[in-house]
Amino acid sequence: MVVRERTTRVDLAVELCGLQLHTPLIPASGTLAKEALGEVEGVYGAMLPKTTTPRPRAGNPPPRIAETPAGMVNSIGLQNPGVEQFLKDLDAFDVGVPLFISVAGDTVDEFVALCERISSDERISGIELNLSCPNVEHGGLTFCAGPASVEEVVAACRAVVREKPISAKLTNEGAVENARAAEAAGADALTVINTVPALTIDARARKVLVRGGLSGPAIKPIALRAVYEVSRAVNVPILGSGGVASGQDVAEFMLAGATAVQIGTTSFVREPHTILEEFAGFLRDTGMSAAELIGALR
Amino acid sequence: MRFYPVDIEERRELGGYTLLSYRWPDGSVQPGQFVMARVAGYPVTLDPFLARPFSFYDHDGEVASLLFEVRGRGTALLDRAPERIEVSAPLGHGFDIGANGTPAALLGGGIGVAPLKILSRHLTARNVRHDIFLGFAEARFAAVAAEFPGSKVATVDGSEGTRGTVLDAVPDLDRYGAVYACGPNPMLAAVKRVAGEDSVCQLSVEERMGCGNGSCNGCVVPVRDGGYVRSCIEGPVFRAEVLAW
Repeated sequence: MVVRERTTRVDLAVELCGLQLHTPLIPASGTLAKEALGEVEGVYGAMLPKTTTPRPRAGNPPPRIAETPAGMVNSIGLQNPGVEQFLKDLDAFDVGVPLFISVAGDTVDEFVALCERISSDERISGIELNLSCPNVEHGGLTFCAGPASVEEVVAACRAVVREKPISAKLTNEGAVENARAAEAAGADALTVINTVPALTIDARARKVLVRGGLSGPAIKPIALRAVYEVSRAVNVPILGSGGVASGQDVAEFMLAGATAVQIGTTSFVREPHTILEEFAGFLRDTGMSAAELIGALR
Repeated sequence: MRFYPVDIEERRELGGYTLLSYRWPDGSVQPGQFVMARVAGYPVTLDPFLARPFSFYDHDGEVASLLFEVRGRGTALLDRAPERIEVSAPLGHGFDIGANGTPAALLGGGIGVAPLKILSRHLTARNVRHDIFLGFAEARFAAVAAEFPGSKVATVDGSEGTRGTVLDAVPDLDRYGAVYACGPNPMLAAVKRVAGEDSVCQLSVEERMGCGNGSCNGCVVPVRDGGYVRSCIEGPVFRAEVLAW
């Protein structure tokens, strides 16, 4: 409620793939539990729950997380109950804003089967392809290991998802080439970037603590550069993601070319409400609307 | 995640631990529930970035307290916090003290003694007879046992009380109708093995946490039916038979 009162004088709305978002903020996949939805009422212009897979996944054994300066390394392993249970529980995330679903498979066929399974669900507005998981048919390289792989999986999903937007979520490495490939294969949007490969070591125990992906403010400049360069290489909208921690960060990502901005790890330590209020304050100060900010670097 | 600034009432050294009390007049706290705490959030502290989970040591309706050991930067900063800290609480599922057998045994290992204070107070208020057993690495930490009158103490190095682990201080755990334990996971697994089959055994687990509100899936424990559950939402207190240890 406070957010609405304090943001009525600024125009936070953006259009993403034909969908109207009342704010440009979206939760990054895997960082907002249904138990925490009450804390973010009214903040997000679209919803995006944790990645779903064809079958339940137990996820990786602990330790799964390690704190690092200005961030954390995680290796959760896509723990989720599988798509059938996911769809049964989905109403919690159907809160009156466009609902994107993040999907991941071990093979291109699994991606396609997931897209077919969910694309007719009326609650769902769009699909985000989590391409950072290993492709078991290609020796465990991820689906975004190169443009050929990106093109294959995006084209196959595009063929079965006719009426809803697809965003391909890319890692930092090879982002521009992979973005071009995803666009050519029919992606309607790109999510840039996923976590950055990282490792933590417990020196006293002489053991690897967590081998996974780095997130949080530590990766913001990396993500910002990727968004900036991808936005100059493609014509589809970008969902900026990576270390966004403040309203000013949201503005920076939009100036770099993002149409919407995902909030992930920072939501563990800050209220997304606060980030939206800061962003509204930025717009008020500059006299611009959120939509006008997109790519508006001088 | 929403954090609230709270005023520190008192900071005491209890042996190797710090007891930090702060004003917390809002709502009730169940024994075993926890707090995410930090000295300040972004952008004041980017390192450490995350808050730290602590069991409620006590809460009298006005003042809450946390017991912790300085182990890294997060706890070191909290130990030196001058006037205020930020907390998010109460979180998680605590001990079920409603329908348990008697007498009850309360076992704490190291900093795992923390939730036993508020638990003991709630059990006393319900006239539940209970004995407290505390295990520490050495006498320096065992000083906190003075806060648990009548408790029996074990130290691994034998410098105070019985030599050995907390289980060595309990002569006959299987005679207790209810067992409550908090400590390192290997200790909890041992308690589970030794507790009587007919007793209600509840274990408060220690895990690294990222968010404390169920979102990051970082703090999981393995469960009997396969897979993992979050200690911040489904726990941190679990019935022993649920855990796959």
